[in-house]
Amino acid sequence: MNYPVWDVPVIGSGWVIGIIAIYHTLISQFAVGGGLYLVLVEQKALREGRADWFPRLKQHSKFFLIVTGVFGAVSGVGIWFAIGLANPESTSTLIHNFVFGWAMEWVFFIVELTAAAVYYYTWDRIPRKLHVQVGWLYAIASFCTLVIINGILTFMLTPGDAWIEVAGTGNESSRFWEAFFNPTYFPSLFLRILICISLAGVWALVSYSRIDEHTDKETKAELITWSSKWLIPAFVLMPFFFVWYLFSIPEVNRGLLQLGISTIGSGAFTQVTRISLVMVMTTATIVGVVYFFARKSPQDFSFSHGVAVLMLAFLANASAEYVREMMRKPYSIARHMYSNGIRQASVAKINQDGYLTKSHWTRPATGSETSPDVVLAKGEAMFRGQCLACHTATGYRAINKYLKGREYASIKMLVTTLHEYAEDSPYRKYMPQLAGKEDEIAALVDYLDYSVNKEKSRIAQLMPTHKQEVVELK
Amino acid sequence: MSKLMSSLYGWVDERLGLEELVKFAKKKTVPQHQHSFWYYWGGISLFFFIVQSLTGLLLLVYYRPGPDAYESVRQITYEIQFGWLIRSAHAWSANLMVAAVFIHMFSVYFMKAYRYPREFGWWTGMVLLVLCLLFGFSGYLLPMDELSYFATKVGLEIPAALPAVGPWIANLFRGGLEVSEQTVQRFFALHVVLLPMLFIPFLFIHLWLVQKHGNATIPSEMEKPEYLRRSIPFFPNFLMKDLALWLIALNVMSLLASIFPWEIGEPADALKPAPTGIHPEWYYMSAFQMLKVLGNVFPGALGEGLGITIFTLGLILWFFIPLYDGKHENGVKARNATYFGLLALFILIATTAWGYMVL
Repeated sequence: MNYPVWDVPVIGSGWVIGIIAIYHTLISQFAVGGGLYLVLVEQKALREGRADWFPRLKQHSKFFLIVTGVFGAVSGVGIWFAIGLANPESTSTLIHNFVFGWAMEWVFFIVELTAAAVYYYTWDRIPRKLHVQVGWLYAIASFCTLVIINGILTFMLTPGDAWIEVAGTGNESSRFWEAFFNPTYFPSLFLRILICISLAGVWALVSYSRIDEHTDKETKAELITWSSKWLIPAFVLMPFFFVWYLFSIPEVNRGLLQLGISTIGSGAFTQVTRISLVMVMTTATIVGVVYFFARKSPQDFSFSHGVAVLMLAFLANASAEYVREMMRKPYSIARHMYSNGIRQASVAKINQDGYLTKSHWTRPATGSETSPDVVLAKGEAMFRGQCLACHTATGYRAINKYLKGREYASIKMLVTTLHEYAEDSPYRKYMPQLAGKEDEIAALVDYLDYSVNKEKSRIAQLMPTHKQEVVELK
Repeated sequence: MSKLMSSLYGWVDERLGLEELVKFAKKKTVPQHQHSFWYYWGGISLFFFIVQSLTGLLLLVYYRPGPDAYESVRQITYEIQFGWLIRSAHAWSANLMVAAVFIHMFSVYFMKAYRYPREFGWWTGMVLLVLCLLFGFSGYLLPMDELSYFATKVGLEIPAALPAVGPWIANLFRGGLEVSEQTVQRFFALHVVLLPMLFIPFLFIHLWLVQKHGNATIPSEMEKPEYLRRSIPFFPNFLMKDLALWLIALNVMSLLASIFPWEIGEPADALKPAPTGIHPEWYYMSAFQMLKVLGNVFPGALGEGLGITIFTLGLILWFFIPLYDGKHENGVKARNATYFGLLALFILIATTAWGYMVL
């Protein structure tokens, strides 16, 4: 427990990352697909001599520059803040491992941001051909950022055997390329390329919906129709790449989804499966909605239609990112680091030496080792360190809700199961092993019991102050 | 293939006169302006009603009213394949339908679409609203779990507060002095036979009136000269947009049904104390809260009588608004009607929020 814990009430720290990341990917993937879109549409306009398109394209590139350069860039920095606070151990591991990768990515970022600005400000100021070349520079630089970040993101789910061999030795970066081109690298890259292409189309629809259909009816209809075609590759190819992706992830992770699918009928299926269904459903809805709104009467395509499509894309994107994150359970870096920042390999040592031994974050409490206040302080530190990464007290995945109705003995049994982490324990699929010495585990049980059962808890009976207060009140 | 299709179409057209329908639909236009969005809510309500009918029919296959009610809903939720989905879709689309109907009503009101010659559209709409609320009320009890039992008990306090006939109406609904298996049986009959029997004819009249008179143009558009007013053909343009919104509505409903499936609580037990914070469904919250507040201010029969009187008076005014503001003039009456609508909307939202805050 080297770092303090970031306690975000109600939603939990994970959702802070989630909210920023979902918002960010909706824009950053547009930044990648949109680059290609801009050069291709400009080339088409040049080839076909469509002078009437240029003012619209200029407007669209301004929209593009602001959305990606401001909202995309700011939220990207936001992710760094959030992951650093919510999961410092994993962030630290990623930085140590991929510092070279990120250095490359930032070079491309600078090229990308500069090229986007140059592209917009040089409309009608430099020869068209040169302008297209600036567009290509942007498109390639932004594509390279995807190529790099994809390696790091996929690494977290499938770090690969080569990297796992050296994990925790301090020599991890020697397997940089193996970790980077990990088993899910390519299927994920192709999936993301498809998403980027379709988001380029979706955002273009939003942008062109502002064209006045009365003064520019033809142009609007043509641009809307052309942009809607950008959704076709994703619609046709996505299922194939998705299956490829699924068969590249370890069976145990895939099992989580399969188990879910086989139990849909009885309604007992997992949240991951529910959300992945939402993803499939919403993606299909986008195609239908674009067909009815954009293809059938492109000149009537209004801003609210554009926003509706964008919101659907947001939903599909959010569910895809959620499923990807959830499939990694119980790890933040698969087979190496649990979601609460504990290294899998360190659990035995922690069980022996204690989890709170090096912790500076335990609430100060006075009294003997067994006094209720000290026990509760210890239990609270255990809770904050090992549970708070995924649970909250009363909000999202609330401990108080999950343990409601359980008494001390029942809570103890659950906590012991998590601590022992038997081979056949059903919790292994979702939750990390609980690490700590016996007294720490016992303190956690008491803390949870007290949070849920208050005065009726075992520890409350031992509190002298509690009894005294009752007498005084009377 | 297309040749085959067109000859098939020709064969059917010859016998049913489809071409006339298409011609009619193509001639029909829908006004296009910055508030056109509100035209779609009637269609969305209709869509949810269709979902209600289909899922309701499927639930009917397994649901058993009477003493078995709870057990049958438990089986639907946990044992029968995809039963949870059908039940969740039914419950969610019911709530979404009520919400859509309210939005539709207020948008019609503020667009002044109740004016001549659309008065009957407004009145049939009001009947449909009442029937829709009764659908919700009667359906809510059917699972007969703890929450639905006590919420129905509390909900029946609203009609019971009516002077003179109140207790009689409440007893008629309950089939006795208490909510019991008898009540489930009655609510079931109401929910699947009586209400649909009334609802469907009114719905057809309502839809026929919409077809007959078309969508109303809003007053600010009416002021514009003819050549500046814009419209789109009903077929295919408006219909395509309608279908797109239906798809979105389906998506929202499926999303809610799969992520937040409708749970079933403990079986109802009249001997148990009511759980804390019991309240009727959200669309009754406003009426419930108003009665509660007036009951506190004027205790006893006076408060109840006063509450019901104000309520009834408001409803009558609301119902007869086309007679008061029926002409296409933007005078004092038109303004008063708008203020009255805003006041009603404010009271509805404020008392609902208030009701939830004091739970």
